[in-house]
Amino acid sequence: MLRQVALFELRYQLGSPAFRVTFAVFFLLAFGAVASDKITIGGGGGNVLANAPFVIAQTSMILSLFALFASAAFVASAVVRDDETRFSGILHSTRLSTGDYLLGRFLGSWCTGMLALASVPLGNAIGALMPWLDPETVAPMRVGWYAYAWLGLCGPTLLVTSAALYAIALLSRSMALTYVGAIGLIVGYLLALALASTPRLESVVALIDPFGLAALGVVTKYWTALERNTRMPGLEGALLWNRLLWIGVTVLLLALALRFYRTAERGLPARATRRAGPPPPAREQRAADARTMSSPPAASAPPSAGRRDLSTLWALVRHDMAAALRHPGFLVLLFLGGLNSGGGLWFADEMSGTPTLPVTRVMIEALRGSFTVIPILIAIYYAGELVWQSRERRVHEILDATPAPDWAFALPKILAISLALVATLCASMLVAVAIQLLKGHVELELSHYLLWYVLPSSIDVTLIAILAVFVQTLAPSKQLGWLAMTLLIVGQIALASVGLEHPLFLYGQSTPEPLSDMNGQGEFARHATWFRAYWSACALLLSVLAICLWRRGSHVSLSTRLRRLPARLAGLPGALSATALLSMGGLGGWILYNTNVLNEYRIAEDEADWAAQLERTVSGFESLPQPRIAEVELAVDLRPREGRAEVRGRYSVENRTGAPLAEVHLNNLIRDLEVRRLAVEGATLEREWPELNYRIYRFDTPLAPGARASIEFELLSERQGFRHRDPNTRLVENGTFLDNFQIAPTLGPNRGQYLSDRAERRKRDLPGERREPALEDESARSFNGLRRDSDWVQADITITTDADQIAIAPGYLVSDESRDGRRTMRYRTDAPIQNFFSIQSARYAVERDRWRDVELAVYYHPPHGANVRTMLDAMKVSLELFSEIFSPFQFRQLRVLEFPAYSSFAQSFANTVPYSEAIGFIHHRTSPDQIDMVTYVTAHEVGHQWWGHQVVAADQQGGSMLIESLAEYAALRVMEQLYGPEQIRKFLKLELGTYLSSRGSERLEEMPLARVESQGYIHYQKGGLALYFLKEELGSEVVDRTLRRLIAQFAFQPAPYPNTTDFLRLLREEAGPEHELLIADLFERITLYDVKVTAARTRQASDGQWETTLEVEARKLYADGQGQETEAPLDEPFEAGLFSVEPGTEGFTRESVLAFERRPLHSGRQELVLRSAKRPEHAGIDPYNKRIDRDIDDNLRSVDLQD
Amino acid sequence: MLTLRDLVYVYPNGTRALDGVSLELPPGMFGLLGPNGAGKSTLMRCIATLQVPQSGSIQLGAVDALADPAALRRMLGYLPQDFGVYPRVSAWDMLDHLAVLKGLAAPGERREAVERLLRQVNLWDVRRRSIAGFSGGMRQRFGIAQALLGSPQLMIVDEPTAGLDPEERNRFLNLLAEIGEQVVVILSTHIVEDVAELCPRMGILVGGQIVAQGSPAQLIEGLQGRIWRKVIAKDELDGLRARQQVLTTRLLAGRTLVHVLADSIPEPGFSPVPPALEDVYFAALSAARTVA
Repeated sequence: MLRQVALFELRYQLGSPAFRVTFAVFFLLAFGAVASDKITIGGGGGNVLANAPFVIAQTSMILSLFALFASAAFVASAVVRDDETRFSGILHSTRLSTGDYLLGRFLGSWCTGMLALASVPLGNAIGALMPWLDPETVAPMRVGWYAYAWLGLCGPTLLVTSAALYAIALLSRSMALTYVGAIGLIVGYLLALALASTPRLESVVALIDPFGLAALGVVTKYWTALERNTRMPGLEGALLWNRLLWIGVTVLLLALALRFYRTAERGLPARATRRAGPPPPAREQRAADARTMSSPPAASAPPSAGRRDLSTLWALVRHDMAAALRHPGFLVLLFLGGLNSGGGLWFADEMSGTPTLPVTRVMIEALRGSFTVIPILIAIYYAGELVWQSRERRVHEILDATPAPDWAFALPKILAISLALVATLCASMLVAVAIQLLKGHVELELSHYLLWYVLPSSIDVTLIAILAVFVQTLAPSKQLGWLAMTLLIVGQIALASVGLEHPLFLYGQSTPEPLSDMNGQGEFARHATWFRAYWSACALLLSVLAICLWRRGSHVSLSTRLRRLPARLAGLPGALSATALLSMGGLGGWILYNTNVLNEYRIAEDEADWAAQLERTVSGFESLPQPRIAEVELAVDLRPREGRAEVRGRYSVENRTGAPLAEVHLNNLIRDLEVRRLAVEGATLEREWPELNYRIYRFDTPLAPGARASIEFELLSERQGFRHRDPNTRLVENGTFLDNFQIAPTLGPNRGQYLSDRAERRKRDLPGERREPALEDESARSFNGLRRDSDWVQADITITTDADQIAIAPGYLVSDESRDGRRTMRYRTDAPIQNFFSIQSARYAVERDRWRDVELAVYYHPPHGANVRTMLDAMKVSLELFSEIFSPFQFRQLRVLEFPAYSSFAQSFANTVPYSEAIGFIHHRTSPDQIDMVTYVTAHEVGHQWWGHQVVAADQQGGSMLIESLAEYAALRVMEQLYGPEQIRKFLKLELGTYLSSRGSERLEEMPLARVESQGYIHYQKGGLALYFLKEELGSEVVDRTLRRLIAQFAFQPAPYPNTTDFLRLLREEAGPEHELLIADLFERITLYDVKVTAARTRQASDGQWETTLEVEARKLYADGQGQETEAPLDEPFEAGLFSVEPGTEGFTRESVLAFERRPLHSGRQELVLRSAKRPEHAGIDPYNKRIDRDIDDNLRSVDLQD
Repeated sequence: MLTLRDLVYVYPNGTRALDGVSLELPPGMFGLLGPNGAGKSTLMRCIATLQVPQSGSIQLGAVDALADPAALRRMLGYLPQDFGVYPRVSAWDMLDHLAVLKGLAAPGERREAVERLLRQVNLWDVRRRSIAGFSGGMRQRFGIAQALLGSPQLMIVDEPTAGLDPEERNRFLNLLAEIGEQVVVILSTHIVEDVAELCPRMGILVGGQIVAQGSPAQLIEGLQGRIWRKVIAKDELDGLRARQQVLTTRLLAGRTLVHVLADSIPEPGFSPVPPALEDVYFAALSAARTVA
C-alpha cells in the first residue's frame, strides 16, 4: 500500500506545472552557471574551474536552498489537496492506513523534489559540454561527482526541508502557512549566515545550518584552488555531523507528525462547508431558529446619495489591513523578520571583523542588509493573498455584485499592504533601538532612523507592493502571480549583471546611497529622490491600471478586461494616468539628462573597454624615459557643497636619465578630470588622446641631463548632476578626501590603470596578465613602487575651502586666513617627501598632544571622540619604539585625520594618516579579550612613516613586502610591548587564519614572500607572521639591526631603490649561516607545517613533579603557486609548552606558563615528555602559532590525567 | 419591471448556456425552474452583472444593465448559489463590511441597518460568532441578510434551499415571502415545490431556452385532461416508454406508478388525474428534449 501511495503521488506531481517550471528554471540556472561567465552560483573563476567539484557541490547546495519554495508546493499539495478538493471524506473511508498514507505522500513528494533537483547536475553537466567554453576552465567529466552532489548533498537537504514543510502542512492544513514556513526556513538560513561571519560561533553555526552551506564552508575554508578543482567535499567533519543531525531531526519531525495526526477529526476539516458542517446547533439555538420575525421589515432608507468616498475608503482600508494583520502568516513573518534582523542587528557591530560601537549608521546598514528582504517578501506574499482571497473563499460573487466602485476593491488593498509594510519597518527600527539601548549606546539619532531608513525603505517597498498587486491582477492564478513577481525581481538582477543596469529601466531602483556619520546622507539622497519620484509616478500608473483591469465578476478573461480598458479610463482614471505618464516622461527626461548627457553613461563593460583601449595605446610608451618630478606646487580651490575642486599647479621636473629627453608624457589618471590648461615649458603638444586624458609634449630642444623644466596645469574635478552608479564619494560636503593622483597629472603610462582580470583581458585580446618585474630585473630598480615619475619632492600646497572646515595637506602650516566665508590654508614641506599625499577638508574637532618635539594631533568628527586618546597614546608608544629600533622620526608633526565611512581603511602619507570613520573611530572593545585594533592599526600606519616614507621599495616583485610586511612587523612589536608576549597568540591566530583562507581565492599564483606581487594576504598576513617568527628565532636585536642597516643604506635615497634581495643579503649577514634554512623557508619558499598534538597525558611522578607526554604528528610541506604540496623532511626545533590557562584567552598571564622549552621535531609521529612543577591543563607544540600551520586549532590540547 | 431580451451567453469552451432568453418580470416573486445545466445560474449571474452576455439586453426600469452595470448594482440584492466565507470573521463584521461596499458609508446609518437585518433573519444572538462555524441554514440566512442590505429593488436568489433540512427550508421561504411586492424577486431552483408554494409567476429554462412561462395555475390548466395515471409492473415499464410519453415514475407498494402525457386515454387501464406543477415541469422537459 505504501508503495502504491508513493508512486501515485509521484506520478501526479510530475504532471503538475510546479514540477515542470521548477525543473526548467533550475536547469537553466545550473546550465548558465557553467556555460556563462555572467552567472556565478557556486564560485569558480580565476584558478577554480567552472565545473570543479567544489563548484558543483556549492551550486547544488545553494540551489537546493532555492528549491525550498518548489518543495513547499509539492509537499503542501500532497497534504492539502485532499481537504481543498473535499476528497478526503472518500479517501479516509478506505482501508488505507494512516501510516501508509502519510509516509507514502511524503515519500512521493520528496521524490518529486529530488527529480526536480536532478535538473541541477544535469544542467551543470550539459553546460560543461558547450563548445564555446574555454577548455582551460573546464574540468573533466566525472559522473560520480554529480551523482554524489545530487544524492549526498542535495538529498539530505531536501529531506530535511521537505520533512519540516510536511510537518507544517500537516499541522496547519494550510497552503498559505506552508509557504510562510518556507519563508521561515529561508530567514533562519539568513540568520545562520549572518551569525557565521563571527568566527567564534562558526562551529555551532556549521552544525545548526539546515542547508549545510555553512558546514560546507567550514570544511573547505582553507582549500587552495588546486584542491577545489580536484577534491569533492566528502561527508566528513562538520559536514557529516550536520547532515546526520538534520537527518535525525527529519526522522523526529516525521515521527511526531505521524503520532499527532488524527484521521477521525481530520477526515472532515475544520473549515465547514455548506454541505458538511460541524454538529447541529444546540437546543436553544433550534428554538431561536423556529421563531420568525413577527413584524414585516421596515423599509430602510436607500444609501445616502452623496456617498462619502473618503470614509468608505477608510473603512475598507481598515478592513483589509485587519485582514492582513490578522492573517496568522503575517505574525509569523513579522516574528521571523524580527528574529532575522535581531540576529543581524545584534552582531551588526561585529560584522566587519572588528567590533565597533552600535552607532545608528551601523544599525541601519545591518537593517538594509538583513531586514529589507522581509518587507519585499511580505509585499509579494500579501499582494497575492489579498487580491485572490475573495475568489479563493468564494465570497467574490457577493462582493462583486455590490454597487461598490472598482477602486473600492483595489485601492484599499494597496493602501493596506503599504501601511502594514510601514508598520514592519517601524517595528524593525524599534528592535534596532532596543538593541542599541541594551548594549548601552544611548545616542539614538532617531531622525537618522526615520530619514535614512524608514522613509526611503517605505517608499521602496510600497513600489514593490503596487507592482505585486498589478501583477496579481493580470495573473491567471495566485501561484503564477507569485512566480511572475519572483521572476521579475530575479530578472532585474540578471539584467543588471549583463549590463542593462540603468535604474530608469529597473523597476523601483535608484542610485546608491552610501551612509556616513560625517557626511550624513549627503547629496546621494537627493539624487535617489529623483528616481523615487519617477518610480512613484510609474506606480501611480500601475495602480490606476490595476483598478481599471480589476477582475470583477465570474469568468472574466484578461482579453475582455483589456477590451474594456479604454472605456474604464474615461474621466478621473484617465486623467491620473495621463498625469502619471507625463510625470514619468518629465522626470525620466531629467534623469536621463543627468545620467547620460551631463555625465557619460558607462557600465562596467565600458570601463573595461576604456582600460583596454588605454593599455593598447600607451603601453608601448612604457619604456620611454620620462623626467622626474622634483617640486610640486598646488593651489586647490575646494567647494565641498558643489562637489567641485579647481586645481592650479606647477611641477618642476628634472631630467635624471643621463641622456637628453625628447618628450614628456602627461597622464591624467582620472578619466573625468577636465583639463583647462596644460603647458610644458619649452615644449609643444605633439599628440593627444583627450578621451584617454593622455598627451605627448615634444621639447623644442631636448631637455639636457640634469636640466629642469616646469609644467603648469589647471584642472577641474566637478560633480555634474548625478551618475547612475559609482557616485563620487571623495569630494563631498563634509569629509573631502582626495589624493594627488586624483587631481594632478602624472608622467608616463601607469600600469595600475590596466585591466587585471585574466578573463576580461582575454576577451579583449590583450596579452596575458601583467606581472610585476622580476627580482632579477635590475633595470626595475630605477623606479620606486609608488610612482615611476618621482623620487622625493618638495611640496607647497594651498587649499581654499569653506570657512567652517579645516583643510589638511602634507607639510607644515605656513598661513591660515579666512575671508568672505572662505578659508585658505597653506602648507610647505621643509624636507623631501614621497610624491603621494592626501588633501582633506572637513568640519573637524582637534585634539593635540606632544611626543618630544613632535606635535601630535587627531582631527575627528566631533561625536567620534571615543578612541582619540587611544590613538594619541598609540602614536606616542610607536614613535618611542620605532625611533629606538629603526631610526629617528623625520618629521616634527604627525596627524590622524578622519574620513567618511565610504571606505574602511587607513593609509599613511608623509606625517599624515587618514583613518576611516568606520574603523578606529567607532571601534569598541566589549572585553579585554578582544584585540585592540585601534592601537594595532595606528601602530601599523606609524610604522609606514619608516617603511614607505623613509625607505621606499623598487617597483619589483617583493616590493610590497618591504613596505607592508615591515609595517606589520612594527605593529606586532608595539602590541607585544603593550600586551606582553603571552597575548601575542591572539594577533597571530587572526593573521594566520586570514592568510590560510585567502590562499584558496588566489586567482593567479601564490608567490613566496620575497617575491610577493602586491598580494595582500601575503604581504600583510604572511609577512607579519614571518617577520615575527624571524624575530623569535633570531632575536629582536638581529632583525632590528638588519632593518637599521637597510634604512641607513637606502632611506631618502633616489634610484636605485632597494628590494628584498637587499634585505635578505643584510639579513643573512646579520643572522649567520646557521639560520639559512629558516630564512629560505620563510622568504624564498612557500612553507607550511602540519603539526598536531594527537594526545596529551599527564601523571604525577614520584618526585612530585608532573610528567606530561605529548603525542605529536608533524609534517613539513612546500607548496607551489597553485597550491600543490610536496612533503619535505622536517628536522627543526619547535617550542613546546605546558599551561594552566589556554594561551590567548582571558586570564592568560606569565604565571599561566608552567613549562616552555624548545624541542626538536621530525616528520611523522613522535612523543615528547615535558616536566612541570604544577599540573598542566593545556599542552601544545608551537602554542603561540608563530609558524604557518595548515590547521590553527590542533596545536593545543587539553591535558588528560593519566591513570 | 425587469426585461430580458434575447440573451445569449457562450462559454469559452463552446457551451451555449443561454440561447436567446427573453422574459418580462413585473414586481413580485418569479420562479425559474430548470434541471441542472439548464443555464439558470448563468442567467442569474448575467442579470447580477457578474457575467456579460455576448448579445441581448437587460433592462430594469430605465436602467440598461449592460451599459451601466453600476446603476443596476445599486438596486440589486444577490444571493449566489454557492458562496464561501472568510475565516475568523464574525457575522456582524462581515455584514458591516458588505454594508460599506453597498454604499452605507455613514457609521450610524450602517449600524442601524446591520442590526435590523440581523434581527430580521434571527442571527442577532450569534452576531459575534465566526460565520465559518455556522450551520447551513444559518449561512443561508446570512446570505439573505446581505442580499437585503440597501433595500434592493431586484433580488436574485439562486438555488437557496438545496441542502437545507425541511424546517430550515420553511423558515427560509417564509423570509422570502415577507420581502414585499414592490421588489422583483427571481427564485432560481430545481425544486418544484418551492415554486409551487411561493411564486405567482414562473418560467421553465431548459437547454438555455425558456420553454414555458406564465402563472403556475395557467400552466397547470394547460395540462388539464392530458395527464393519465396507471399502476404497472416493473417489467412493463420499458415497453410503455416506447409507446407513450411517460412523464414520471414512482414506486408504490412495490409496483410502479406512472404518469403519462396524452391528449386522450392512451391505453386501457389508465385513469385521468388532475395535473400538478410537477407534471408541468416534466412535460416541458420532455417536450424540450424530444425537440432537441
